[in-house]
Amino acid sequence: MRIIGVYNIKGGVGKTAAAVNLAYLSAREGYRTLIWDLDPQAAATFYLRVKPEVKGGSREMIKRGNELDDHIKGSDFDNLDLLPADFSYRNMDLMLGEAKKPAKQLLRLLRPLSEQYDRIFLDCPPSISLVSENIFRAADGLLIPTIPTTLSLRTYRQLVEFLDGHRVNGVERMPFFSMVDRRKRMHLDMLEQLPGRYPELMKSFIPYASEVERMGIHRAPLSVYAARSVAGDAYERLWAEVKGRL
Amino acid sequence: MITPVSNYQLPTEWSLEACLHALGDAFPLDSDPDQGLVCTYFDTFDWRLYKGGELLRLEQEGRERHLIWSGLDDANPRQSLRNPERLPVFAPDLPPGAMAERLGPLMAMRALLPVVEVKSRMVILRVLDDEEKTVLRIVLEEGQARTPGSASWHPMGLSLRLMPVRGYNEELAEVKRFLRKKMGLRECPEGRLAAALAALGRKPLDYSSKLDFHFSPDQRADAVARQIHLHLLNTIEANIPGVKAATDSEFLHDLRVAVRRTRSALTQIKGVFEAQDLERFKGRLAWVGAVTGPTRDMDVYLLGFDGYQNSLPKAFRKDLEPLREFLIAHQASEQQTLVNRINSPHFRGLLKEWREFLEAPPPQSPGAPKARKKIAKVAGRRIYRVYERVMIEGLMILPNTPAERLHELRKECKKLRYLLEFFQSLYPKKKIKVLVKALKVLLDNLGEFQDYEVQALKLRELAHQMVAEGSVPADTLLAMGMLVDGLLRRQQQAREQFTECFAVFSGREVSDLFETLFPHKPKPDLGELGAGS
Ligand SMILES: Nc1ncnc2c1ncn2[C@@H]1O[C@H](COP(=O)(O)OP(=O)(O)O)[C@@H](O)[C@H]1O
Ligand SMILES: [Mg+2]
Repeated sequence: MRIIGVYNIKGGVGKTAAAVNLAYLSAREGYRTLIWDLDPQAAATFYLRVKPEVKGGSREMIKRGNELDDHIKGSDFDNLDLLPADFSYRNMDLMLGEAKKPAKQLLRLLRPLSEQYDRIFLDCPPSISLVSENIFRAADGLLIPTIPTTLSLRTYRQLVEFLDGHRVNGVERMPFFSMVDRRKRMHLDMLEQLPGRYPELMKSFIPYASEVERMGIHRAPLSVYAARSVAGDAYERLWAEVKGRL
Repeated sequence: MITPVSNYQLPTEWSLEACLHALGDAFPLDSDPDQGLVCTYFDTFDWRLYKGGELLRLEQEGRERHLIWSGLDDANPRQSLRNPERLPVFAPDLPPGAMAERLGPLMAMRALLPVVEVKSRMVILRVLDDEEKTVLRIVLEEGQARTPGSASWHPMGLSLRLMPVRGYNEELAEVKRFLRKKMGLRECPEGRLAAALAALGRKPLDYSSKLDFHFSPDQRADAVARQIHLHLLNTIEANIPGVKAATDSEFLHDLRVAVRRTRSALTQIKGVFEAQDLERFKGRLAWVGAVTGPTRDMDVYLLGFDGYQNSLPKAFRKDLEPLREFLIAHQASEQQTLVNRINSPHFRGLLKEWREFLEAPPPQSPGAPKARKKIAKVAGRRIYRVYERVMIEGLMILPNTPAERLHELRKECKKLRYLLEFFQSLYPKKKIKVLVKALKVLLDNLGEFQDYEVQALKLRELAHQMVAEGSVPADTLLAMGMLVDGLLRRQQQAREQFTECFAVFSGREVSDLFETLFPHKPKPDLGELGAGS
């Protein structure tokens, strides 16, 4: 089992779009794949047409331990399942704080699923918190969608500092450019300059494209309704690269 | 938790259209494009995969072929292989990984054969919730089945399969309720394979070399004997195509066992057939045993070859290779001779006459003395008699008793084993099990004692034969000599363990069971009987 976190401190950068589209590609290759929607906004849950509800909420889940199983929903696609979001996740931080070894709770919950899934994607809420620390410690790889602006770069450096400061070592850092708009001067500059400075930066990037926005209308992964599209191809290239890094 | 697939076989009054209407009126449905399916199920002749809870099928779709391993419900493939270069026949041909690890040991030395072919059309419906999310798939399948290689397809009727989506059990329960209450359908545990076989008038597990008779104590002895013989004859005949085609070694093995059981039943179930009928068949059945022997001998060597080889120190193992080649070549020529024998008028005539005899109604006033006796009495007496002989012969075996006497004892034990197998349904299951188990310990020991010796002698014979037929490397002869040494040593070990194995059989528990289960005349003095034999 490989756990892949999709994370950024900021919202609206394409985390959920990446989590859903990459997880779909993984499932299509025959890997048993699960998305855990950890964001109370429940965007991934919405895209997969599942109603957000986790009976008992997160307090119950953390207390009882290994019962994630009962909450998993099959998506409309072979090999792709979802652990839906619930609004009570807003209090997740507090819950985790009450547990022993608070930073390792997520990993403890995920471990029993290792028999059932080859890949688990964590669609994370924005912010740095105990939830995110849990995610960092559980994940084998961390995908970090980053809009190519100087501001985004600052937040990426913040994240790196946090990881190093908290000695989170065992996770592969995979920042990639997201929502790239070739009409913007700054985007082009960053695209050119940064690979040299950040060797961990993924070679593939996701362009800004209206097909991606339409996921909200179709409520399905991109490849389902726009089989051959610029953004669709970009996700496939990114996925191939991610597999190579894990 | 992952909910299993549910299968329904629809009665003929339900057409596909009627089903679609009924379901469409009751649930919000969408449908996927219809799918065609052409597939072939594979198993060993004796259903080893099915018995192990596994199914293997090849699905064909245009040029795409998928070899799919699943559980008995046909769904949730455990492993599938796209466009296999060639289909696996024996265990080592299985694609490496979980499939080989699980199915290989089940198959052991047996070959996979196509069991049944299915051609069908599937209508795939999706039940939606108010988010237009798929919460259940319903597959309606209408198919035809045929025996692989035959021309005629047989309709399988309409079946319905519920493929649950994880986490939507309430929706599943609702549809199940509808099928039961509104459509009058009942869930059946068997999936497509069983439906396909049913279309051909067959069912899974319809061949086994194990005996599983169900007799009642009052049945006429001659009728029971006929039934046993007919079953064994069916087994013999069922194995002939596989023997002729040399599909795998076990066809011949099963055929030979059935012949041995037949011969044993003929002489052990005494007084049920006329003497002249007995004479007509006994000799000819012995002939079948004899002419099938040489091929089986070669098979046994080849099956055990890797074991032989590994029993030698590493440096000597490759020296045995010329022996393997020799065995393969001779197996092939013995096999050819065997096929000629099986195709001979003598063999075919024997089976035909034997069947005619067995299927003829039992004579009204039979000359055979025990023909009309109740089977419980005939069987019980006979079992006890043979048991007595085993005890007498066994007790007389001392550390320096000649090997011949142990071989004789083995023959008696085999008779007893066959009798217990024929008539086990007349006695309490648990008790018979104890006896069969104790007898098996003894038989295994005696078998090892004799077989190791036979194999050692045979190896010496083979060495001579190899020398006579051409140049054989000295190293090969040496390695064979080492094998002979190992075999004789193991034979000696078997001999040393005899007393212990016999003690299990002659112990209190077993002898009490024999005394109480099988009616017999008051116990004679053992010493007296022993002296008289
Ligand atoms: N590559 C893209 N091109 C255009 N719009 C995108 C792209 N990626 C995401 N979006 C849109 O931007 C919004 C935020 O994306 P989302 O994946 O939900 O980000 P996050 O999970 O980081 O908050 C959504 O409306 C989404 O449809
Ligand atoms: Mg999101």
